[in-house]
Amino acid sequence: MAKNALPSAFENFADARKEGFLTVKNLKDEGKKVVGTFCAYTPVEIFLAAGAVSVGICSFSDETIPEAEKVLPSNLCPLIKSSYGFAITEKCPYMYFADLIVGETTCDGKKKMYELLGDIKNVHVMQLPQTQTDEASIEMWYKEVLALKEKVEKEFDVTITEDDIKAAITIKNEERMLLQEFYNLSKSCPPPITGTEQLKVLYGSQFKFDYESKNKELRDVIDKVKKDYEDGVENVSKSAKRILITGCPLAGVTEKVVTAIEDSGGVVVAFENCIGVKTADRLVDENEEPYKAIADRYLQIGCSVMTPDTNRYDLLSRLVEEFKVDGVVEMTLQACHTYAIETAQIRKLMQDRDVPFISVETDYSTADVAQLKTRLAAFIEMLV
Amino acid sequence: MKEFYIGIDSGSTMCKAVLFDGKNLVDTYIIKTGWNPKISASECLDHLLEKNTISRDNVNITATGYGRETIDFADNIFTEITCHAYGGIYLKPEIQGIIDIGGQDSKVIQIQNQRVADFLMNDKCAAGTGRFLSMACEILDIKLEDIDGFTDIIDPISISSMCTVFAESEIIGLLSMEKDRSKIMGGVLQSIAQRIRAMTGKINYDLEAPILMSGGLSKSKALIEMISKITGLKVETHDNALFAGAIGACICAYNKNN
Repeated sequence: MAKNALPSAFENFADARKEGFLTVKNLKDEGKKVVGTFCAYTPVEIFLAAGAVSVGICSFSDETIPEAEKVLPSNLCPLIKSSYGFAITEKCPYMYFADLIVGETTCDGKKKMYELLGDIKNVHVMQLPQTQTDEASIEMWYKEVLALKEKVEKEFDVTITEDDIKAAITIKNEERMLLQEFYNLSKSCPPPITGTEQLKVLYGSQFKFDYESKNKELRDVIDKVKKDYEDGVENVSKSAKRILITGCPLAGVTEKVVTAIEDSGGVVVAFENCIGVKTADRLVDENEEPYKAIADRYLQIGCSVMTPDTNRYDLLSRLVEEFKVDGVVEMTLQACHTYAIETAQIRKLMQDRDVPFISVETDYSTADVAQLKTRLAAFIEMLV
Repeated sequence: MKEFYIGIDSGSTMCKAVLFDGKNLVDTYIIKTGWNPKISASECLDHLLEKNTISRDNVNITATGYGRETIDFADNIFTEITCHAYGGIYLKPEIQGIIDIGGQDSKVIQIQNQRVADFLMNDKCAAGTGRFLSMACEILDIKLEDIDGFTDIIDPISISSMCTVFAESEIIGLLSMEKDRSKIMGGVLQSIAQRIRAMTGKINYDLEAPILMSGGLSKSKALIEMISKITGLKVETHDNALFAGAIGACICAYNKNN
């Protein structure tokens, strides 16, 4: 595959996480409040409506794992260990600046880690139901969303008006629509951009805190990519096998999976991960009562912490068609039980649809780069 | 157009090479991979060229196996999964799959319509690999080539540890209880077969169609019998199954050129 330099449009997003450090410091100096979030289930509209800045603090590097293992068991998901490690070592500026950290009762590992994190940081945990369609769960989650609003108002000494929350819903929906438009560009054959490039924008967009300018930058990237494609710039070979990635959160060191695919004659066209389609797929209904609409939208996110995880299966089935996928690669993180168990159902789902499927387990080390390359290259050789 | 193909399967333990004329397997050669896969691969190449008096310019070279990326004189590179499958089909066209137990990994491949349809690999741990067996041979003081005559596969003593390091302690424990070595070895083969079953169970295999066992351990009838028993599948081997990867490398290159 042609190794082109990243178009300048992507550079705005490539270093967003690093550049955001300074932005957040300046925002703090101006008196802004910062909220650290872990999961796709966190309704960030509430922080926006309160005039606060929210930022993802899931960590994707093995740097702080040894420190975390002084407290946490070593046989635990690396994302949880790493995130906790960054908190106790104060090495993540976002975690450091966070006035409030919001987590949910998602997987067992995160849930229990939040208790320990609560000893050193101001943590609020929302009780996330494990099912998505029954009345009791829907009602409970709505109450949790209202409780979060009250918590934020109290912590930051603000009142969130109806106009505030509605404005927040609108601008967040705008971002989602732009992200959808962006990743949907890869439905073209060949896709206009590589998966590595797509991920840079999806991941980087989390670390831009002024929504108006972020949405404008997203618009610019979309227009640039579209124009290049229309001008006949061929960034990806026509023969590249179209891969969809699903599974655990993918960013930072685990981009090794994307690299192995794209170095072996494949191209990642879609990410059904937390950083990807999952978080941007559906909008908050602007015609509903705002908090009810927020609660209903977030609760329906597909993730292996839900039982059954029908929404993930439905989304995957849809994406495989829409993106004309040649094969599905699932990445699970070591010791992530819910995803690892659900692999059996995803394998079956893909077998029933005649879509080639492979699941690879990895961690935050780089020790398995050669093994990943062998598996993923063999998988791509297998695709017709 | 080059007349001959040489396939080099540079594994973690052994380097296997074959000479292929586009139709027939002409010659085979195997040596230890050693610390430098590139050196052993070029030794294989030189041997095959010299012995068959073929000029270097007249061969197309394909590399596979763990060392494949280091073999910079190869014209093509394919992964060992694809190569084992095509080599297996060449040796036994009717197979529905491959079980390959290598030095540091084991893999299970499903073949449909003469192509790879699915595969699973265990490369995270030594359980169920050749390394596990050589560890056991060392403690039990049995040569790898003697396991067939020695092992009691009818009444094995189960080894419950899945981790090679813990299994080692478990075997030492059994020896200290003066348990029968041949039954312990039976337990070792049973443990490998159980790891293989964990993979074959995830693939929709037909119980009747044959599966080829490839790799160095395909020489062991006792292991094949144990795997057949535990997985319930029809596992067979072939005299040249050891060379399946190297043969497949030639076939992949041949298919690419024709």
